[in-house]
Amino acid sequence: MASGYILNRGALTLGIHCQRVYRNVTLSQVREKKRWMKAYTFLMAKKLKLEGPPPPKPRSQKPHWDYHTEVQAFSTRLHENFSLELLKTAFINPCYLKAEQERRQGLGMELETSALLLKNNIQLSAKGAVFTQSFLTDWCRTNFPSLPVEGVESITGHITSAEVVTYVARNLGIEDLTMSAESPVPDDVLHSTFMAVIGALQESSGDERTGFFLRDFLVTQLIGKDLFDMWTVVNPMGLLVEELSKRNAPLPEPRLIRSAGTSTVLPLYFVGLYSDKKLLAQGPGETLVAAEEEAARVALRKLYGYNENRKPFDFSPQQMYHQPLIQSVSSL
Amino acid sequence: MTARGTPSRFLRSVLQNGVGRYVCQLKRISIIFSKNAQSSLGVREFIEEGVVDYARKNPGTVVYVSPQTCRIPKIVAEYLNGNVREEIITSKTSPQISELLTKLTNQSGLENIRIRKPFHTDSPSIQGQWHPFTNRPLSVGPIRPQKQEAE
Repeated sequence: MASGYILNRGALTLGIHCQRVYRNVTLSQVREKKRWMKAYTFLMAKKLKLEGPPPPKPRSQKPHWDYHTEVQAFSTRLHENFSLELLKTAFINPCYLKAEQERRQGLGMELETSALLLKNNIQLSAKGAVFTQSFLTDWCRTNFPSLPVEGVESITGHITSAEVVTYVARNLGIEDLTMSAESPVPDDVLHSTFMAVIGALQESSGDERTGFFLRDFLVTQLIGKDLFDMWTVVNPMGLLVEELSKRNAPLPEPRLIRSAGTSTVLPLYFVGLYSDKKLLAQGPGETLVAAEEEAARVALRKLYGYNENRKPFDFSPQQMYHQPLIQSVSSL
Repeated sequence: MTARGTPSRFLRSVLQNGVGRYVCQLKRISIIFSKNAQSSLGVREFIEEGVVDYARKNPGTVVYVSPQTCRIPKIVAEYLNGNVREEIITSKTSPQISELLTKLTNQSGLENIRIRKPFHTDSPSIQGQWHPFTNRPLSVGPIRPQKQEAE
């Protein structure tokens, strides 16, 4: 009904419009009240309401876009020396190449003349992903020497997960530069592009600089994260028993050390874990079971060195940035 | 409108910027002006004098200068987190525009709204959160949950 109305209205408006154009074909300008304007704007508003806003365009199709300069600025903005050819290759996804080839064939271009002489980023992406994985594993091992393999895996898995990596990539402006078939770049494409950028950096600047890049942009996402947000441990007490038996320490002994308001709707229990008559950790909870579990988690955090008041991670700038500072001091 | 009714956010930076290295958050700036309108007199002057210096000083920002037929010259700034800000620079002088550009360059791109607290920390408490038993000695006698009463 509504669409019929719109069609009718559209035809009417178009008719009026055409008429006017036809009638004034000799005139360049009409100086009178545009009476068709109201119907036209009404129609456009209705159309917008029915169809919704138009799909978002990629930034590269909007005005003011110079790809080479953008890539160069991307490189200098991050204080890195990318080789520009490698960086441009890193942004080209296989899905874009396929779509572009199809588009050219659809326009009726011949295969020989329209062949795209572009490399895709599959190799760079694979390289970057392998390097990221190994670097993050090493970083976790050096910062948390007592963390078991599963913990390290879950931390690296969290950092390299699609959620974190795409968040970082979107906030580094990689989305604009990515060449992808679909317009809002899908998460998996963005993930592989970010890995390809890391691969390109590794090829152009070496492992050390890439390590600093990963530390500055990916590892900073760990700030304020709890260990057990990333690592799902179902039975922390069992894990604690395992850890203590590995270290030849006596098994933990849970004791109720404090309680308040037990007969109210908001009871509070504090359970302390004793090992060898020493207090390992204490944890609060609304029930005894919850308090014991929380105490076990606190004890595990202490054992692994991931407690809340640990020393913050070392994000100090690398040696290269120190040089100008020293110079300025000596010049003074 | 009262302060509570206005939109607000906490003090934060994009991607923990500055923890590892500082990244200038302004990625692209387009200066849109008219070649002969009176309102873009200052912009034309700025483009003759200062825009090259600005671009040289900020290699991480792409500067587009586009003459169009428009009455209202403006600066469109795009930030790394995807936010776009348009600043209208009608009849502003060259130093004023230069000042505005510096301001846009130093901003983070997060929306300019009321900030709830002028400070932020990632580790809110070093000693741990306060609870009713903070700084109290452990109880000596046996403690038993009062099960019958709790149920």
